[in-house]
This record gives sequence, structure tokens and C-alpha cells, in this order.
Amino acid sequence: MTPLSIALNLALSFAGLAALCLAMDRHHRTIVGRGQSRARARALRLAGWAAIAASFAAAVVTADWNFGPVQWIGSLTGAALLVVALVSYRPAWIRPAALLALPLALAAALLA
Amino acid sequence: MGLVSALVSPALVSKVLPVTDVSSLPDRVRLRRGWRYRSEVAARVGLAAFGGYALAALATAFLSLTLPMVRSEAVATATLISFAILAGAVIWVFAARTLLLAALGLGLPIALLGLGLWLAFDGASMGPPA
Amino acid sequence: MRQGFRQSMAWLHTWAGLVTGWVMFAVFLTGTATYYRTDISLWMRPELRAGSTDSVPAAERGVAYLKAHAPRAMAWYVSVPQPDRPVIGVYWMDSLEAPLGQALLDVESGAPTRARDTQGGDFFYRFHYELQMMPTLGRWIVGAAALILFVALISGIVTHRRIFADFFTFRRDKSAQRGWLDAHNVTGVLALPFHLMITYTGIVTLGVMYMPWGVSAAYKGDELRFYVEAAQTTTWRAGAGRPAEALPLAPLLARAQREVAEPLEMVIVNNPGDANATVVAVFEEPHGLAHQHPQVAFDAVSGAVVERVGTLKPAARVFTSFMGLHEAHFASSALRALFFLCGLLGAATIATGLVLWTVARAPKAGEAPGFGLRLVRGLNIGTVLGLPIGMAAFFLGNRLLPVDLAHRATWEGAVFFGAWALAALVPLVRPHRRAWTEMGLAAGLLFGIVPVVGALTTDRGLDFLAFDAAMLGLGLALALGARKVSHYEARRQAAKAARPGPARVTEGLVEA
Repeated sequence: MTPLSIALNLALSFAGLAALCLAMDRHHRTIVGRGQSRARARALRLAGWAAIAASFAAAVVTADWNFGPVQWIGSLTGAALLVVALVSYRPAWIRPAALLALPLALAAALLA
Repeated sequence: MGLVSALVSPALVSKVLPVTDVSSLPDRVRLRRGWRYRSEVAARVGLAAFGGYALAALATAFLSLTLPMVRSEAVATATLISFAILAGAVIWVFAARTLLLAALGLGLPIALLGLGLWLAFDGASMGPPA
Repeated sequence: MRQGFRQSMAWLHTWAGLVTGWVMFAVFLTGTATYYRTDISLWMRPELRAGSTDSVPAAERGVAYLKAHAPRAMAWYVSVPQPDRPVIGVYWMDSLEAPLGQALLDVESGAPTRARDTQGGDFFYRFHYELQMMPTLGRWIVGAAALILFVALISGIVTHRRIFADFFTFRRDKSAQRGWLDAHNVTGVLALPFHLMITYTGIVTLGVMYMPWGVSAAYKGDELRFYVEAAQTTTWRAGAGRPAEALPLAPLLARAQREVAEPLEMVIVNNPGDANATVVAVFEEPHGLAHQHPQVAFDAVSGAVVERVGTLKPAARVFTSFMGLHEAHFASSALRALFFLCGLLGAATIATGLVLWTVARAPKAGEAPGFGLRLVRGLNIGTVLGLPIGMAAFFLGNRLLPVDLAHRATWEGAVFFGAWALAALVPLVRPHRRAWTEMGLAAGLLFGIVPVVGALTTDRGLDFLAFDAAMLGLGLALALGARKVSHYEARRQAAKAARPGPARVTEGLVEA
């Protein structure tokens, strides 16, 4: 339950939730400025859930079965709050932030 | 079941989905202010508080005596789920279509649990100490 | 109640939320502060410095104090110093009915501490589940409110069914009602697992008190026996009625420590001075969710081990894990920050729900607000901003009240409730929307000056950097919120002037 393990969790959760957010038509319009194809939405949704699952796995591996699930749910809440704040106030930042979160997650995973 | 009828009836769907501020309807306002409405709310609140707690308390005592575990485990399990039973009972009282139905829905399990508890106490006093 | 399940649940959500909202807002906010209880306590006793945390000599000093000051007590409790609590706590029980006696001792000398008399973070902790009332009454009020809130949470999931379709959505530019509804839904749904968990586990933490019927039925009311069998405590050994000299404490504690990996947390002496006196060494919770302390009990006269606390069976493990989850003692600083954030979201969900009730019932242009609406509006401001004002005043009172004032801790509580009561009167004399702005600014200012007053009245320099930063952050957030309300109000007035006519939008609000 180190800060690194939580950082890894937050980064993966954020990337996943940002993808799920982009997969929703209304938010896609706000963020990108136009609609999207069904295939793209499905791909985003898939990627989002995959990242959230990866976040769960990372939590359980780095913080064991006792605390992993607690930490995972906490990180989902924190990351979701960030996504909501960005969509409402700085929609253009969402995609770069989500892309930045992935190498950050990798770095945290290597250090943790 | 209201949920099901809301799903099948298009008139209700349009009423439920976009604007559901039914309190703005004039007959609703009259109904809301009336003494009949108020006494029914009061009755349901009383039923939810006392009936709901009675049901949860009886269930806790009954399960503590009958769950097939060491008694400390039975008590812990029963106490743990008693508050879910209480919350479920409260929701039932306010979801039931009529007051009578709400009372019956609590009264029947209360009677059954009371009987079961009486039998469980009887069994406990005759059998070996738990 | 209403036609259809959903309408019934909407009604239930509205009214269950309203009647418990004010109490539960206060419970959530003080509970959230309690995640940082030890930090608050340290800040409120600036005289204390980090000192030795050598537990065995500290326990001996504590017992020596009790031997001199409470020789006739039924039981003594000595909590040994921790890095975040550099003081020896001694407590004694004269009878089962009387409240515990207590004193804080200096770690090095074992004499009463020079630190100022204050409840510290324990004030918010106790308020959180007893409202600083008579303990039994306060606990029942909080328990009932928590259960109604749990019902409101479940009915809320049914009512605001669009929360998942509207995930991530916060439309602040549409109507006021839409903005508040989105804020209510976002804060509610993002931390929904936390809200459900914290409410249910909070009830379970005092569950045996609220629902004692399992213990009455299976144990004929012998609650202590239940806790012994559930591996929560050791058996109470009755006194023999004749005095005997106890063995020195240190060797017993050393023997207990050899069995347990965790550090010592507390030493209990039951029936001190008696031939049947018992010494219980209580250790810190092992790293895990469950709230359980390893314990070893000795006969104080012979030194024989009389009991060890048992291992947790599955149901007891779940029960104690619920308590552990609620308290989050296990949480590292990063996870604790997430719990803190979730707690704030819970308070925000309740506050936005309360405001939503009034926004949905705002009178049409030209109509005067009715008594019910004015009452709810007043209570909303009085609670949502009055409580933070009380909390900030409590911190300021800790620094500004004379250090040697008699009953100082009680006076700090009086400052808290006095400031809160004063703040709750403001909405009676100011226009509704102006009151939000003005009191938000006042609360922000009060939090903002806490670090300044702290720096002027103590010589601790930068020791409390994190606490000061938190105070400044809270102050800034409150002031920014107040500014936003006043900007919004200015825009609304301008729009009203440009376009007369009451076009109230009740779009999509599920409320019956």
C-alpha cells in the first residue's frame, strides 16, 4: 500500500474512465467536437474496461487481496472526479491527460 | 407492479421519463395537503419504524438461535444482516400499494418469526447447552 | 405510497434525505475530519514534542500514577505513547456507570502533561457518533439517521436512475436546478460504493447496541461473554476481595511481547491491588482490514498467563472488518487522502440534495416563500456553512483561549457551538442568496486565518506545514465557492432584467 501502488492504480483508473467517457456520444462531442462511429465507441469502451480491469489486477498484486479492492474502488472515485472536472472545465485536456497516464502507470509499475 | 406497468404503458413512460414533477398537478397538491394523505404518511412512518425494527429484532434473535454455527458466529451473522432486513422492511412499507398491504407484508413474517423464536427457545431450553 | 415503485422511491428519497440531511451532513463532515484525528490532536497540543516512545517504561509510569491517584478503581487503562501521540494516556473506571476518569501524562516524567487542556481531534470523533450529547441519546439519534440515510441511498439509486447514463456529466451552464441535480448525482454516484459502505459499516460499528437481540437470545444478555467468544476481548476475572502485591509489570510485558509481533498499545489492569488482579497486554491491530487487537492476560500476582484472545472465525472476521473499513486505521497516507475525499463527496452529496429540495420548490416570481421553504433554507445555510464556521472557530479558540483557563476543554466546545449557533442566526436577518455568499466568505476567512493565528501564538515554526496547508486549502475553496455564488447571482439578476417573465425549467428532475 505504498504511494506508488496508489499512483499506478489512479493512473490506470483515470485512463480507463477517460476512455469510457470518450465512448459516450455526448461527451465525445464535447471533447472532440464531432460524433464517432459505432466501432470506435466500442473500441474505446473495450479499452476503458480493460484499463479498469488492469487497475484492479495492479491493486491486488501491489496491495494484496486485503486492501487491493478497497484501494481500487478509492482510486476509481478519485480518477472519476478528475474526469468529471476535466470534461466540465477543460475538455481539451482529457485526451492528452489520458495518454500521459499510461506511461506514468508503466513507470509506477516498474518502480513499485 | 408499478415498474412493469410503467415499462409497458407508453402514456406512463412519457410521464415518467422527461418530466416527473407530478407534484405540480393540481389534484396532487390537494391530495398532498389533505388530512387523509397526512395520516397515511404518519401511519407508514410509524409502521416502518416500529414494525420494521420489530421484524429486524425478531429475525436477529431467531437467526442467532438457529443458524448452524457456533453461537458467537450466529450472533455476529444475524446482527450483521439485521440492518439490511430493517432497511428492506422500511422500503417495503413505503413501496406497498396500500397501507393494509404494507402492514400485512410486515405482520406475516413477524408472526412467523415470533412462532419460530418461541419454538427455538423451547428447543434451546430442552437440548444441550449451546 | 404513489403509483408505481419508482414514484414511491422518489418520494421516499426526497423525504428520508430531507429529515436526516442536516444531522448526517454534520456526521459526515466531522467523521471525515476524524480521518486526521491524531494530526488534529497534535496541532491542538503545540506544547508536545515528539519524544521517546519506549512503551514499557511509559506503561510503568502510567501504572505508578494510577496507583497513587485511583487506588480503588475497578480497572486501569494505560495507553502507551505513539509517534503521532507523544503522551501517556491513563484512564480509570470507578464503577460500571460512572464515566471513565482520565489524565494525560508527560512521557519522560510521568507527571500530568503541561500541554493545554483540550479534547483535540477527539472532539470531532465523539461528535461524529454522539453529537456531544448524552452518549446513549446521541448514538441512537445518529444510528436512526444513518439507517434512514441508508434507505435514502437505496431509494436514490432507483430515483436518479439516469446516474449511470449521465456518468461524468455536470451541466453547470443550464438551469440552476439542472446544475444542482448534476452536482448531486455526480458526487453521489462517483463515491457510491463509499457512501453505501460507510453508512452500513457505521451502523454495524455500534450494531450490538442498536440490535442487542441476538446477544440477548443466545447469551441471555451476557454481552461480555459474546465479545470473549467472538475473540474481541479477554474474560473479566472477578476480584477475590483480599489485597495482594502484584508482580513488577515490565517482565510480564516483555513475555507478552515475545509472543506478538505488533507493538504494545495499551496495558489494562483489572481489579488492581486484589489477589485476583489481571494484567492484560493489548497490542496494535495486525496489518489487515479486521479491527482486532492481539491480547495476552496474566495473573498479576502469580505471573501465569490466564488467557490469550482467540483467533477470528469467519463471521466475526467480517464483522470486525466492517468496523475496520469504517475506521480506516489501516490506510496509508495516500489511501487515507482518498477516504477523506470520499467523505467530502458524501457531505457534498447531502448538501446538494438539501439545496436541490429548496431549488425545486423555489416560489414563482412575485410569490413569497412559504414557512417550510424558509425553514429549510435557513437550516441548510446554518448547517452547510454554520458547521465549518464552528470548526474553524474551534481551531481558533484552541490558540486564543488562555492556556491556563479553568475547564479549558469545555470552553473550546462552547466556542464551537457558540460560533455555529451565531452563524445559524445569520440567514434569519440576511436575504437568502446574500447569506450564502457572505457566510461562505466568512467561513473561508476563518479557516484562512487559522495558520496565521497559529504562527503568532506558538513557536512551532513550520512544524505544522501540512495542517496549515489544509486550513488554507479549505479557506480558499470556501471563498472561491462564495465568489462563484455571487457571480452566478449577478448573472441571474442581469438575465432577469433583460428577460422578464418566470420561465421556470423543471426539466428532467425526478421528484414527486
